[in-house]
Parts: sequence; C-alpha cells; structure tokens
Amino acid sequence: MTVPREGFVEWAVRFGEGGLGTLDALRARAGGGPVRAEDVRRVAGSLNRPVAAVAGAASFYADFAHGETRERHIRVCEGTSCFAATGGRHVERLDELLAAAPEGAFSLRRVHCLGFCYASPTALDGELPRTGEDLGGLLTPPPGAALPRPETLPDSAPPVPFHVDARRPVTLAGLAGGEPPWTAWPTAVADGARARERVIDEVARAGLRGRGGARFPVAAKWSAAATGTAPRFVVANGDEGDPGSFCDRLLMEQDPHRVLEGLALAALAIGAAHGVVLVRSEYPGAFARMKAAVQEAREAGHLGPDVHGSGVAFDVEIVEGAGSYVAGEETALLHALEGLRGSARSRPPYPVFRGLFGRPTAVNNVETLAAVPWIMRHGGEAYADLGHAEEAGTKLVCLNERFHRPGVYEVEFGTPLTTIVDELGGGLHDGTLRALQVGGPLGGFLAPDALDTPLLTGALAGRGVPLGHGSLVAIDTSISARALLRHVWAFAASESCGACAPCRVGSLRGSELAERFGTDDGPEVPALLERLMDVMETASLCAFGRGVPGSVRSLLRVYREELGLGPR
Amino acid sequence: MTLVRVAGRWVEVAEGTTVLAAVRTAGVSLPALCQDDRLSPQGSCRVCLVAAVPGGVVAACTTPAVEGMTVDPFDHRAREAARGALELIVSELPERASDLPADRSELVRACQDLGVTRSAFSGAVHHRGLDHSHPYVKFDGDLCIACGRCVRMCAEVQGTFALELAGRGFETSVMAGAGEPWVSSPCVGCGGCVDTCPTGALSEPGLLDPRPMERSVTTTCGFCGVGCALRVHVRDEAVSVVTPADGPVNRGHACVKGRFSHGFARSPERLTSPLLRRGGRGSPLEPVTWQEALAFTADRLAALRDSYGGGAIGVISSARMTNEENYLAQKFARTVLGCNNVDNCSRLCHAPSAAGLTASFGLAGGTNPLEDVDRADCVLLAGANPTEAHPVVGARIKQRVLGGARLVVIDPRRTELAALADVHVRNRPGSNVAVFNGLARLLIDGGHTDEEFLAARASGFAELSAVLEEHLPQETARIAGVPVEDLEAAARLYGQAENPVIIYGLGVTEHLHGTDGVRTLANLAILKGAVGTPGCCGVLPLRGQNNVQGASDMGALPDLLPGYQQLASPAVRERFSAAWGRPVPEETGLRIPQMFDAAVRGDLKALYVIGEDIASSDPDTTHVVAALKACELVVVHDLFLSSTAEHADVVFPAASFLEKDGTFVNFDRRVQRVRSAVKPPGQARADFEILHLLSERMGESLGCPSPAEAFAECAGLTPLFAGMSHDRLDRDGPLHWPCQDAQDPGRAVLHLDRFATPDGRAALAARPYLPPGESPDGDFPYVLVTGRRLVHYNTGSMTRRTPNSDLLPTETLDISHADATALGIAQGDLLEVASRRATIRLPARITDEVNPGELFTSFHFPDAQANRLTSAYTDTSTGCPEYKVTAVAVRAARE
Repeated sequence: MTVPREGFVEWAVRFGEGGLGTLDALRARAGGGPVRAEDVRRVAGSLNRPVAAVAGAASFYADFAHGETRERHIRVCEGTSCFAATGGRHVERLDELLAAAPEGAFSLRRVHCLGFCYASPTALDGELPRTGEDLGGLLTPPPGAALPRPETLPDSAPPVPFHVDARRPVTLAGLAGGEPPWTAWPTAVADGARARERVIDEVARAGLRGRGGARFPVAAKWSAAATGTAPRFVVANGDEGDPGSFCDRLLMEQDPHRVLEGLALAALAIGAAHGVVLVRSEYPGAFARMKAAVQEAREAGHLGPDVHGSGVAFDVEIVEGAGSYVAGEETALLHALEGLRGSARSRPPYPVFRGLFGRPTAVNNVETLAAVPWIMRHGGEAYADLGHAEEAGTKLVCLNERFHRPGVYEVEFGTPLTTIVDELGGGLHDGTLRALQVGGPLGGFLAPDALDTPLLTGALAGRGVPLGHGSLVAIDTSISARALLRHVWAFAASESCGACAPCRVGSLRGSELAERFGTDDGPEVPALLERLMDVMETASLCAFGRGVPGSVRSLLRVYREELGLGPR
Repeated sequence: MTLVRVAGRWVEVAEGTTVLAAVRTAGVSLPALCQDDRLSPQGSCRVCLVAAVPGGVVAACTTPAVEGMTVDPFDHRAREAARGALELIVSELPERASDLPADRSELVRACQDLGVTRSAFSGAVHHRGLDHSHPYVKFDGDLCIACGRCVRMCAEVQGTFALELAGRGFETSVMAGAGEPWVSSPCVGCGGCVDTCPTGALSEPGLLDPRPMERSVTTTCGFCGVGCALRVHVRDEAVSVVTPADGPVNRGHACVKGRFSHGFARSPERLTSPLLRRGGRGSPLEPVTWQEALAFTADRLAALRDSYGGGAIGVISSARMTNEENYLAQKFARTVLGCNNVDNCSRLCHAPSAAGLTASFGLAGGTNPLEDVDRADCVLLAGANPTEAHPVVGARIKQRVLGGARLVVIDPRRTELAALADVHVRNRPGSNVAVFNGLARLLIDGGHTDEEFLAARASGFAELSAVLEEHLPQETARIAGVPVEDLEAAARLYGQAENPVIIYGLGVTEHLHGTDGVRTLANLAILKGAVGTPGCCGVLPLRGQNNVQGASDMGALPDLLPGYQQLASPAVRERFSAAWGRPVPEETGLRIPQMFDAAVRGDLKALYVIGEDIASSDPDTTHVVAALKACELVVVHDLFLSSTAEHADVVFPAASFLEKDGTFVNFDRRVQRVRSAVKPPGQARADFEILHLLSERMGESLGCPSPAEAFAECAGLTPLFAGMSHDRLDRDGPLHWPCQDAQDPGRAVLHLDRFATPDGRAALAARPYLPPGESPDGDFPYVLVTGRRLVHYNTGSMTRRTPNSDLLPTETLDISHADATALGIAQGDLLEVASRRATIRLPARITDEVNPGELFTSFHFPDAQANRLTSAYTDTSTGCPEYKVTAVAVRAARE
C-alpha cells in the first residue's frame, strides 16, 4: 500500500466527537498532576476516540506529561534569551526554592520561551508573567525562605515594545499606524464571485511569502488549497515556538483582530468556512485575547453564517496548544489540532491537499496573516514596493533583552543587520556581543564581525544562517561556548518529536556529545558530532532534525577557537 | 504506468507507487525498517534513503515515483546517511537486539545489508523492561525503535487502534491502551504487531525460542469460515508458530484464533488411541487397538444396517472436516450404509442460507468475493458480529468504514461494529423478516429501486408488493421495537449507495423463519439491482465454521448430492450410482434434528458422529442426550473426549486440521488447500483414513484412496468443481466455484449474465413476518440470544485448551444495566437462567451491549451449557434451530 494514511485521523473523522476539543478535554482533567490512565479513558470515552490515541497524545505534550499542582504552578523559561540573560541561574534559583518548599506548595516546569525575551529572564506564575533578573520578585527571598505569595508581587510585566522602521507600517499598521482592523474584510466579502480571485491576486502581486520560516509563496499555497474538495480549513499557526521570537505574541495580544481578518481573507481565498487558530499554551494572554476577539468579531458581524449579509460563512475557533516545539511544524500542528501526538509526518501529501481532518487546509503563520489586511487595503503593489528587489515587504524582527532597546521592529527586507543591531537595538546595554543568533533553534549564529549583511533570506543563507521567524538573540561574552553548545543540543533533545530515528536518537546523542565536548573524555567528540550532524541533516524527516545541525555548525564556526577546534 | 530510471535501468511501475517500490522492481534490495507492504508508508527509520532527481536525498518509502525520475540507490551521501541512521538505531538498543537470528529480525538483516557491524555512536539505551502479561503478544520495550509499524498494523489492518506511540523524542515507544499491561489493553491478539515488528520487540512464545524452525507449511485456517491462509512453522515435530500468509482473503492478516490458538493440537487431552466400552453401556471407555475398535464398529453397523436397513443409521458429518472427508462421509452413508441419512452441522447454522440463496439467486453461495467489500460504499451488516466471530472480515469492514463507506447494522446487540455504525437498527430478536420487509417497502417508497433491473432480471415484484402492503414503516418499527427514523435512515443509506454490500450471519439464519430472513434480506439487493450486476457487491453470508460452505458443497446433506445436485432426480442418482458402483438410495434422508427425534422414537438405531459435539452445540441438550442414549450404537470421531464422546460406544481419535490434507471452501466460495504440517498424536488418524479403514473392515471399498483422488472423483461428478484439482489449486492458488473446466478461472462474482434460477431471474420473496417460536411471557420474560465470543470457538474444545482460556476463562450472562439494577444484580453475581427446558447458572456481565429484556451468552464452555436452555424450534424450511430466540427467566442464584 503506497497511499499514506493516518488511521487515527480517519477514526476521528469517521467516529470521533468533540472536533478540536481533545487537548482541552485533557487539560480539564481533575486534580492536576500528570495525566493518568483514568483521565485518558474518560476523555477517550467522551470523545469516542481510541484510548491509545488519547494516551499517545497525553504522553507527548509537556503540559500533560509532567506533574503540576493545583496550588501554584510555575513555568520557568529556559529559552535562549533567558539563558543568554542569566546562563540558567534563574532556573537553578527556582529549583532551590522548590527543593526548600514544603511538598506540593508549588510545582515547577521548565519551558522553552514564554515570549518575554525583551525582559528576560521570565517565568509564568500561573498565568502571571514574572520578568527581570529577580523574576518579578520571585527570586528575592534568601536561600531557604519560601516563595513569595503571588499577592505580594506586582501583577504586571512590561508590555512588548514595538517600533516601525519601514517606510510604512504593514504588519504593525494597527499598532503603529492607527489603521483599524476589519476594513478590508467587509469589502472583500461583498465582492461575491470575484472575491476569491481578488484576494489571491493581490497577495500574489504583493509577493507575500510565509513568515514562519519556510517562506512558501502565500498565493500559491492558497491557490492549491482552493482546488481540493470542500470542506476546507484555514489555520493560523500561533505556536510561536522559536525561543527569542515574540512578534506573534505581540500581534495576538495587541492586535488580534488583524490576525483574524487575515485568516478570514485566507478563508475567502480558498473557500473555507472554518478557521482555527492554535495558540501555544505558553501564551495564556494571547489565548485569552484571541478568544475574546473572536467573540467581538462575531458580535460585529465579521464572523458568522452570513458575514455582513454577503452569503459568506466563516467562523473561527481558538485552540490552545499543550507544550511542544515541533507542534509548530505544520503537519505536527494539524496533529495537535486533531488531538493527536504533535509529531511531524512526511509530505506529500501536503496539507493544502490533505490537512486538518484530511481536508484541504491552508496553514499560515500569524505574522503572515497579519500582513494580508494591509495588502488588501493598499494593494499588493504597495506591499511589493516595500523591501528589497529580492524579497518584498516587511519583516518583524525580535531583539532580546541583551539589547539596549529590545522589542519588536518592523523593518523592510534588505535592512542591514548592523542597522538593526546597532541603530535600532542600540547595541548591547552592557557586556560585549559575542554572537548573534538569527532565526531561533533552526537558524544560526553569526559572529559580531559577520553582521555586514542585509536582512535577506538569500544573503543570510550565504552566511550559513536561515532567517527563520526573524528572532535576533544577542549572546554576550558571559556565556561560554560549551554552555551554549549544551543549551542548543539540550533543546533539540527535549523537543525532538520522535517521529524519525535520526532526530529521535540523534538529538540525544548530540546532547550527550555536547556534555563530553572539550572534556578529557572526548577527543573523538568533534568528529563524531560532525558525522552525527551529517546524518541528521540528510536523513531527518522534518525541518527540525534537518535544521538543528546547521545551527550547531554555525555555533562551532563562531566559537571555533574557544572550543579548541583551531583557527578558522 | 510511470517510467523511472533506477541505478541506470528504466523500470515501469504503477502510478502512485513509491520510489521504494520502483527500486525493488528494479531488483535492488533496499532495507526499510519502518515499511511493510501491508501498511501505508511512514518514513520513520530513514534507512531507505536514496538519491533522486528530482528530490535529492529522500526516503524511498514515502517519496512518490514520478515520471522520468532518476533514482540512485547507491549514492554515497544517501548510503552514508542511511548507515548513520541505522547506527543510531543500533546505538539505542541492547546487544541482544543484534544477537537475534537474522530470519527473526529485519534489523539484523538491514545491518548485514548495509555492512553495519557496530555503531559509531553510543550513549543512553532504553530501560523500559518486559511486558509479558499477554499470553501471546510479548513486548520487550528495550528493543522498540518507535518505527510505528505495530501502531499502523493495529490501525490500518486490524482496526482496533489499541496501540499508539507514547512519549516523545528518545523516549518514544509503543504503548498499548492507556499504558496498562498489554493483556488489559484493548488488544485483540490478532498478532499483526508481532508479524510486522522489525526488531523482535514484539514477539510471541514460539519466537522467543531462538532455535530455528524445521519446516513451514502453508495451509488454510481451521477456525471460522473466513479462510485465512496461514503459514505453520514446525519445530520438534510440533507447531511452534503460525503466521498469516499473504492469502487472497486475509492478505497477511489473521486473528487470535488462527494466529495463536494452536496449542490444542499438543494438548495432553488429545485422544491418542481408539476407545471402546468393552462391557457395553455402563462400562468405561477404555483404550483399545484400532483393529478391535474397527472390528466392533464395523460389525455393529453392519448388523444394524442388515437388521433395520440403512435408514436406521444416521451420519452427522462436520463442517470442520475437509471437503474430501465430507465427500467420503456422504459416500460412506450412501454406498456402505445405504441411506441418505447424512447431514452436516451447517444444518445448525447456514442451511437457511443454502436454501434461501438458492431460492433467490439459484446457487447456494455468497454472490461476491470479499475483495468487493473494499469498494463498497455502504455495508449493510445484519445479524453478525464479525469483529469477534470472523475477525479478519470484521477488520476489513472496519477499514472500509474508516475509508468512508456508510455502515448500517441490524442487530439486537450493540456489537463493536454496531457502535460504529451510521445507523444501528437494534431490532428485537426474531423480528428480522419484519425489518427486511419494512426496508424493502421504504426502498420502494423512497424511489431507490432499480426499475430496469427489476423489469429485466427479477421476478415476483407484484407478489412482494402485495405482502409489503401490510408492512407500513410504523408497523415494522413497532414489531421490531425500533424508531421508525432508524429504518428510514437505513433504507436511505442502502438505497442511495452506488455499491452497497449485504453481509449477514447467524443472526439472520438461526430462527424459526431463518430462510425467510435470508430471502427477505436478499430482496433488498434485488430491489436495488445490487446483485448480479457489474460493479455490484452482492450478498455475503458469513459462515460460522471453516468448511460450512464445503460440507454442503460436497453433498453431506440428506436431500442433495455433491454440488447441490438433486437426490430426487433419477438422472442424477443414476450418474452417481454408476460412478460409485452402488445404487444411491432414493429416499430423502433425515436432517440432524430429525435424527434425534427418530432416535428418541426408536426408529434410528445408530448415530455416527464425526467431529461434532452435538451434546454441547445442538439445541435442547436434554433431547440430544436422550437421543444418544436411545441409540444402540453411537460412534464418534473427535480430537477430545467431548460431551458427545462420553455417550459413545466407540470413539476414534481424529486428526486436527493442522495434521491433515485436503481442501476447505470458505465463505466466499473459494476452494483452498489444507496441508498437513505435523503428524497426529499417538494413533490418531484423519477422518478420511478412519472412514476408509471402517469401510474396508465392512468389506467395502470407498475408492479414492487419497484426498486428491477423492477431490478428483467429486470434481468428475460435479459441474461446479469440474475444473479443479489439488494439482491445480497447488499451482494456481485458491479458486472460486463454479469452475467448470481446467481453463475456467472460477467465478468470483455470480449471476452477472443470468441468475441460476430456473427462469434466470432473481426471485423476490413475498414472505410475511411471522413471530418467533418462543416469545417472552410472564414466566419467561427475557429473550436469550446465543452467539460467539472473540477468543473462543464453537464448543471451545480447541480454544479452551490454549492460553485463550487466560484471555477469557469463563462464560458469562450478558445483561443490561437496567435489568441488573431492577434485579439487584452486581457485576459477577451468579445468576440462574431458566428456560422451559432447563436451568443453568452463569455469572453476570453487566453491559449495554444487550438491550433491556435481552440476554446473551455463548456455548464455548461445558460448564455453561447454554444449549440446555435452547428450544427445539427450527427453521420451517430447513430445520435450522432457533438459537437466537429463547424465552428465559433470570434471577440471582440462591446459594
């Protein structure tokens, strides 16, 4: 049999109930703690899913596989920005507090990025962010003392700073340009039969490409999805997993209607009546805001069975993720929405042909979608005028806490990295820049003397770093090369989904080799690591396993001498 | 077709094929640990990497082969990466993974292929431990490489969805159910996961022993009527492992019975020598020589025949025997004993199918092959629980339904498939004819009939319409106790389908009006033009035992000769008489229930029972035992000392299907070879041989000394099988009957040109609904339904003597929550069930699989003699017992 099948999806489509509600049902388990067999059976029974399907999912996502108390649950960030800020000391401090606390007083889980990289380090105390060196007061008690009660701590964290350095704000048109959302949508739906074509045409003219990292032309994706048999789906990928990236959180929290409008226009383009936004559970604020925005949009008539009397039906459901980096990969994301293990699968079939519940589906990143309303309002050509001849439009880049002026910047493609780092970011607020991580864990590291490159996918690729989702994490000299190497591999090992052998085993082997790197135990380590990365890069199933080696290689280049690998 | 260049050579492959298939077509071996031809590709192990243009280095198993593609399976970079992936896999496993014999481990073979003798990588290995909780499926978690083959086998082939990967990253491994011990999970023990596991992480008792197998034999399963091809692996002259073969019916799949339940053949309780009551009735059965047992039996049979005539002897043949043995048994009855008192146990299950299908379509078999189910867009399943009783067919139905086909289930019980159905018409036991007539009426009223077909190829529409005048949907709904909406939805789904298939089982036949049930069900296919038309999927009866179809095909019937040739026809009799050299008696013989009546009356003096445990499996046990007691001579062939054997004067030790040679005919009319894998224990012998020895001792020769010759003789006398022989079956594989000459490929789909009825038309039956023989009343307010459970088979004589007994050690009485509450019964409480005939005790199993007012049990266990309860009511046309409706009373048992 050569046709790829997904048995659990077939089951869900044919016999399952509860639609997208499996992760929610698991989240709603009684009593906290890791998901137990009885929780799994209850959820499976209520949704008419196979017990194994629910058990497999429950064991996959970090939110379900680890224990947490009802009392107080703290998620501490060990993403790259927070690591760059403290070298991991904030995590150790919380570990000490946990060890000293009475049994069950609070539970602690390490997560990769909470989207507060501009204010690192960060923890979520329940749903309240705690940022800064002392984690908003969490770390003030002396060793041995109890964790301060939530009510004794300030209940807010700094908002995401943002700034536009493009000739015109596009993605930030609402936040920085005062353009209200939902202006393109009523016009578009009123276009009747021509609407679909018009949206695709404008987006094609704009030359808009996916901003999640894969850079696939958006119009081509929508055209493909529109060819499949209805019902079709549009999905907004709000699983902004790249540590160092927080622009999607900004959009979802501060301008959620723009995201919804972009999703609605995508739906119009492919002829979908249902939209879904997956918001990662590390972003509780974004989840709440998106949910509220959907309700507001319904009330305003933008969503519903007959949008503004146009006969167009479109509605959106917001689904919360459950803790997995790979679930940001589109096939894995669809699995997560289906309530299954968030592991990647081989493509083809591509989601545009066989996506959510086996239906044609366009999956787009939040940032991508947020640009669409502006394109529809101002025309694709206006968008294409921005940026660079090689790459049209604007990009949101995220600068971490090490910068003098951290935050989200909307810049045009082609802006020199030095401009972003030195002028917009203002350089580092203290310390010396040692490396700049571009594009998250599947991106790469650049040495300070390699920043004389424009922000362009091609140019960056020439330096061995993919642009990814556009995060820029400054690493200063306080972080050792070996610690950074261990950090990168530890992330890979803890987030590998396990769907393919090279990444499943290789990410752990890499992590083990990183531990031995530079020790007396490891003269053969660099050579083994090279071979391992060759295998992972060539043989892995998805962009995760294929991408980690490139990132590590760039790290080895930047830190070559410090790692004893000899001069360049 | 798609042209692909592999290693410099152009090969042509089917469209939609993968690169892996193209590479293999080119004759290049490429290991792929996560790939199995029975499953959809996954691309997990990454060991099958090749360089492709376009594509680059890709996993061959998941990459579609496209026109003009160039594939280099020996590309250095691809090979290095593949070897690296394999080394990473090796690095996570303990050394014992590499120590397995190559024939048991694809991993070991892949390492040999890629020249991997050790892994450059090392580090953490797994410490998940063993799960040997299941008697058959043995899991060694430390060998699991998370390739997902077992998961896909369980989902895409078996359809149980008991397995899924758990954990993530390096910790990913297969898990059963919610993570409980394997035996407590939803695993149904089909063994598919064991068969597909590439590392030995999933294994079974016979494979855990590393010694090589001595030989392997391909045969046909001897459990239900599905007809799975099995590969029997022998070590130390005993069956060690049975694996599913890629047979046309089962396609490399099997169930817990065929796959694992072979231990009975080695049971110390097997009969290994003839037993005789030397001192007559009342004396014990004691081991004697064959000579003595044969002499005794021959003398007594001859004496009874000579004093009372052949009509005083009844032969009960068996649907578990081969065709050749059935052929010989009826020939023995007709030529040596001189009577037509020969019947087989299909009387108790599918005689109404033979009669009903013959009346409707002209031939006594299902109309289409199982393959046609794969393209059905609506499955109407009536009175059958195939996921338990015919698991491989159940799995195929489930796959089809997963693929989008609509499912209508008509059954009083909420079976596994009923729970998944689009419509479950949960009718009262005994109301089938009303339901089928009601659906016919709704098909007609809904405009779902095929007018052209009805005009050109069917008869009896006017008469049917007249009967249906009475069958208003509301009236049907009242009789059946179902909402009228369910009937309407069922009719709509069947009526609107393009290629609907009807599959049914004993829930249709085992009724007072079982033949009417078959005929009124067949009406639906005729009205829809969904039988005998190109692309149709027809009507498929699920046969209970391995050779129900064949036993009747071979003429082990009191009124029909081999190939359903009419005994009543002088020309037919003459032909058989000439061939056999003895006149075939003219008088129609007795059916099995009539034999018991005749024995009790004193008209029948001897019962010759081959391989059937009539004292357990036939209804109204008290009556059966009275018949056995009344006989002057009872002869039994069996593997074990059955309840019936305990009443015998002489017992011959028989061979099991694993120990004999011949053919079976499965439920879709496929004649398939049965081959001996091991010798019978002790002095046990095949029924074929026993019948020969006995007739010789009676001074007669049955001719055809070998099964092949018996088959050839039958084929020579029977147009249906004329083109078949053992040689041809060995050469060409299974063939469907009818197969009329050596060139005839056999007819998988029947009636395409004309129906085999006298007028060539499908005959619509105008049969009104009539109530069942027993109805609940004040004294016996519940209806008991009997049937089968997954891990046991028939009287349980085989399966109870295997570790299946660990999986289901006792019988229960299934009772609804509502009834249990009303009666104050808790799970497991001992209940007393009484019918008008007897009382038995069973522990309660409280489940909503049964409706309030209805109860269910099986007859797999001798201590739960369900058939002491069942009635003597039989199908008015064929004498098939009304097993499915017994009025009973139930209450908590008094201590």
